[in-house]
Amino acid sequence: MSKVPRNFRLLEELEKGEKGLGPESCSYGLADSDDITMTNWNGTILGPPHSNHENRIYSVSIECGPNYPDEPPKIKFVSKVNVPCVDSTTGEVKSSVFHTLRDWKRAYTMETLLLDLRKEMATPANKKLPQPKEGATF
Amino acid sequence: MASLPKRIIKETERLVSDPVPGITAEPHEDNLRYFQVTIEGPQQSPYENGVFNLELFLPDDYPMEAPKVRFLTKIYHPNIDKLGRICLDVLKTNWSPALQIRTVLLSVQALLASPNPNDPLANDVAEDWIKDEEGAIKTAREWTEAYASKKDQKSTN
Repeated sequence: MSKVPRNFRLLEELEKGEKGLGPESCSYGLADSDDITMTNWNGTILGPPHSNHENRIYSVSIECGPNYPDEPPKIKFVSKVNVPCVDSTTGEVKSSVFHTLRDWKRAYTMETLLLDLRKEMATPANKKLPQPKEGATF
Repeated sequence: MASLPKRIIKETERLVSDPVPGITAEPHEDNLRYFQVTIEGPQQSPYENGVFNLELFLPDDYPMEAPKVRFLTKIYHPNIDKLGRICLDVLKTNWSPALQIRTVLLSVQALLASPNPNDPLANDVAEDWIKDEEGAIKTAREWTEAYASKKDQKSTN
């Protein structure tokens, strides 16, 4: 398999995001539709069922740097959330703690990241953690 | 990295030894399927005197699949969107393995010479083009001067 360069990879992800991801549990798109570098993205995660996140929609911002996807993107919660892998003051997902960022692989996408975060919110250890008021932001 | 198909090696060699006038295409050292491209704006078009940076990638299935091509320089054109994506039949439905990198880039250059607002990708630009062609051509000239002028051509990468 040849290595798809950053920009063409991001264009593929953009097109997939525009079509909508299967089960609608996550979404993402360019933050600025004029940004030819395709660096900043907005995403949403629908809170997983049977958890304190149920029916909530969490906004995140994603930054794909010049070395994406060889290096993981930076991702930050805009909506307040209480999960151990998320910095409680900045909303940043800690790359040293969250496995998908820590053990990043080139084949991973923004979709992988959002779906894995959603799973993380639903683990037995995390799903009943008390959550901030709905709609609060970092 | 997997070895490069002969066809790609041949095409690359010829792009260097027998370049198309007004077009350059050079593979990146660390990815020989990924080319840095420049296209000069055709004479008598609003893109005249401009040099546009593009990127081109040959997917695994090339030449069964078309190359992927995108503008890196901002351009005001009804068939090129804000992200530099190009609406061109030979890159999509009319691709044939008989075509090459060279012919694709010539088609892109030809698209600059004859914008087609009736098959738009950038809808707002196409609308302008249909409503006020003279004004749209003027804007395209201004953008060419602002973003594609030869003197400040330094790679966007």
